Amino acid sequence: MSNLLNKLFGTLLDKPWDKEQATIDNAHEGKTFDLSVQKSAVLIIFGIATVLFSLVFTSYLYTLSPSQDTNYLLRPNLLWINTLILFFVTYFFNKVTKDLEKKDTSKIKKNLLIIGGLTYLFLFGQIIFWFQLLKSGNYVSTNSYFANFYVFTALHGLHLLGGLFFWGKVSSKVLKLEQNKILEQEKNISALSIYWTFLLIVWLMFFLMIYIFNDSFIAWCKSLIS
Amino acid sequence: MSDDYENKTGYQAQSSETISSGGSGRSGTASDIDYVRPAENAEQDLYHGHSFITKWVFCQDAKVIGVQYFLLATFTGVIGLILSWLMRLQLGFPGAAGFMTAEHYYQFVTMHGMIMVVYFLTALFLGGFGNYLIPLMVGARDMVFPYLNMVSFWMFFIAVGVLLASFFVPGGPTGAGWTLYPPQTILEGTPGSGWGILLMCISLILFVAGFTMGGLNYLITILQARTRGMTLMRMPLTVWGIFTATVLAMLAFPALLVGALMMTLDKVLATSFFMPTILKAGEVLEYGGGSPILFQHLFWFFGHPEVYIVALPAFGIVSDLISVHSRKNIFGYRMMVWAIVVIGALSFFVWAHHMYVSGMNPWFGFFFATTTLIIAIPTAMKVYNWILTLWRGNIRLNVVMLWCLGFIVTFVNGGITGIFLGNVTVDVPLSDTYFVVAHFHMVMGIAPLMVIMGAVYHWFPLVSGRFLNETLGKWHFWITFLGAYSIYFPMHYLGFIGVPRRYFEMYDSPYVTSAVGMNEFISMAAFIVGAAQFILIYNIIKTLKTGKPAGHNPWQANSLEWLTPSVPPEHGNWGEKLPVVHRWPYDFSVPGAKEDFITQTTPPSEVIETEVEKT
Repeated sequence: MSNLLNKLFGTLLDKPWDKEQATIDNAHEGKTFDLSVQKSAVLIIFGIATVLFSLVFTSYLYTLSPSQDTNYLLRPNLLWINTLILFFVTYFFNKVTKDLEKKDTSKIKKNLLIIGGLTYLFLFGQIIFWFQLLKSGNYVSTNSYFANFYVFTALHGLHLLGGLFFWGKVSSKVLKLEQNKILEQEKNISALSIYWTFLLIVWLMFFLMIYIFNDSFIAWCKSLIS
Repeated sequence: MSDDYENKTGYQAQSSETISSGGSGRSGTASDIDYVRPAENAEQDLYHGHSFITKWVFCQDAKVIGVQYFLLATFTGVIGLILSWLMRLQLGFPGAAGFMTAEHYYQFVTMHGMIMVVYFLTALFLGGFGNYLIPLMVGARDMVFPYLNMVSFWMFFIAVGVLLASFFVPGGPTGAGWTLYPPQTILEGTPGSGWGILLMCISLILFVAGFTMGGLNYLITILQARTRGMTLMRMPLTVWGIFTATVLAMLAFPALLVGALMMTLDKVLATSFFMPTILKAGEVLEYGGGSPILFQHLFWFFGHPEVYIVALPAFGIVSDLISVHSRKNIFGYRMMVWAIVVIGALSFFVWAHHMYVSGMNPWFGFFFATTTLIIAIPTAMKVYNWILTLWRGNIRLNVVMLWCLGFIVTFVNGGITGIFLGNVTVDVPLSDTYFVVAHFHMVMGIAPLMVIMGAVYHWFPLVSGRFLNETLGKWHFWITFLGAYSIYFPMHYLGFIGVPRRYFEMYDSPYVTSAVGMNEFISMAAFIVGAAQFILIYNIIKTLKTGKPAGHNPWQANSLEWLTPSVPPEHGNWGEKLPVVHRWPYDFSVPGAKEDFITQTTPPSEVIETEVEKT
């Protein structure tokens, strides 16, 4: 972190017109961070997505009123299983990353396929849960609690589909490669890995929020004040 | 993100800030003071178009994309201009445009505002100048993701198409005001509350999605794909301005996206994100539980940084133009960079000064007034530095410089009225009057427009290889400059006497007697200023046919965009070898140098006797 801040703000102290500084600057290669362009892109997308989801969370907290019936979502349901699936995806990505670090490419193809399969399973689970919600009479227009739930899960799903698009491109390439050439795709795979980790973090934040900041919690807060 | 980008470009992760002090890797023939790091990155493999379609339509060259953005944004801007004429016709001469109803007027106001802010100024500064100048100024062959860059433009194209389509749908475009405040935006009775608002929201969503693709390119190209020797602090201020504005856009546009998305759902699926319980003609509507104020927060969390998304590139560009045309290094370069960064950061803490009359807690007003006034400090620093750059400079009073001087005066004028409005107690009586309209047109309409004009006259020789006609340029400048002041100075007065904005007609209000003559005068000036812009279009067309050839580096500038092997630059920019940078771009009138400029690629051994002044 300090390295990052130093690179971002320390450089603002340079005096580019000084001869001493010029000698140092002439040897600069032109890159600011020791990152591939793929990773740079993923990190910037994280920044944008963080703002986007923060605004959705803020809107949720801003509009949540205590008179809404949130019981359906709070009961044990498919969301818990879906969350578990996302954990498994991250676990397998972690395995892939570690294998790449060790230059062991024997299980990369298999694990990438498992990751894709589990992610599609997650998306399928989310859609099933949407149908369950609709069947129970909780529509997007029912109240702001459900409206936010649908919006967030849709945005998260779109974010995931974007990841799956690049997963498809990278995986199709990796599957065609011979075992010893898989390492050529290391940067793309590790960029995907951090993308999925971010997806899990965002999901967990939301998951905790719907279970913590709901009408019961607000009622409890009110009881404390009164 | 292209997964095979790595293979195409050969970019390798490596220690970015490793400074070599010599030793291994040095060329045996280069002198010590001319030492540069050997090239370590493989060349970027570009896709060169072979047909008209791939060369000029679906093109991946950032320069062509920049020109495409420029042309489309200008086309959209001309529509915005025509709408403003129609509005002024109604205000100056009520009833003169027989077809115009109050509904039409509101629709024109709304579309004029949104077009000018988002689809004209933002697209032109970031999409137009950003695409054309970033790779050239940082010494790259192209943007890092050229394909994504092309998609970005075509998303913008579709967004503009969807926006303009709203003129032709039942009910016409939305007439809710450019701020699109709910609940009235989507309720019956507001013009365009059906298809109009829907298309507006869809267009904005497409614009944001497209811009994000472009912004990703700008940021990564600037951070990771500069040429050797080009440190961040050797970049021209134009790049700093565009870079910081892009960061702001990437953080602010999601708020617009969320607002537009939720409003679409409120309209289509009857959700109530922004809709409170509403009683209409004795009946309770299906909405309830939402907050209109939430939309205001989201909108202005985007809306205020948007001011700086437009202003920061203008600050950067004008700094470079002033430096080149006054033959002096920019005064206080570091301070100028800091000011850009600080203004960018502060712009996220001032949004609610647009909401003083929304009923917010007075303490919030106090907080936001304070942060608003703090922004005046770095902004004033920039103004002083522009003036100090001009001070004792060898000023070329050409058209470019005229626009720059016009900008400084206009920006100071608009900025000072901003200090009025930043204070809660002054803002409340002036809120929703023409004083506000005059303020924001001066500070983020006319002032950035003057920079755009200066930039067009400055960089046109690079884009086309020919000089624009100076005489026509001076007519263009003086009519625009004097005309703009004829419009907006009296408008401040109208605001002071309490004339409200957004009114279709004053009818028999007491404002009529004192305002009617002034409104006629303002409208006449607006017609003339608008018409004067066609001088530029005529000048461009004439120059392309018969303009004086400019040759290489016609302004004797230092920055890299003027140092390409061919003018206009070809796809790939730099011929066989990428340029190597040895200095910042502001070495003008350096004592001891043969000429009054030293380009960024001039090695130290060629200017051994020079001594750059401390600044």
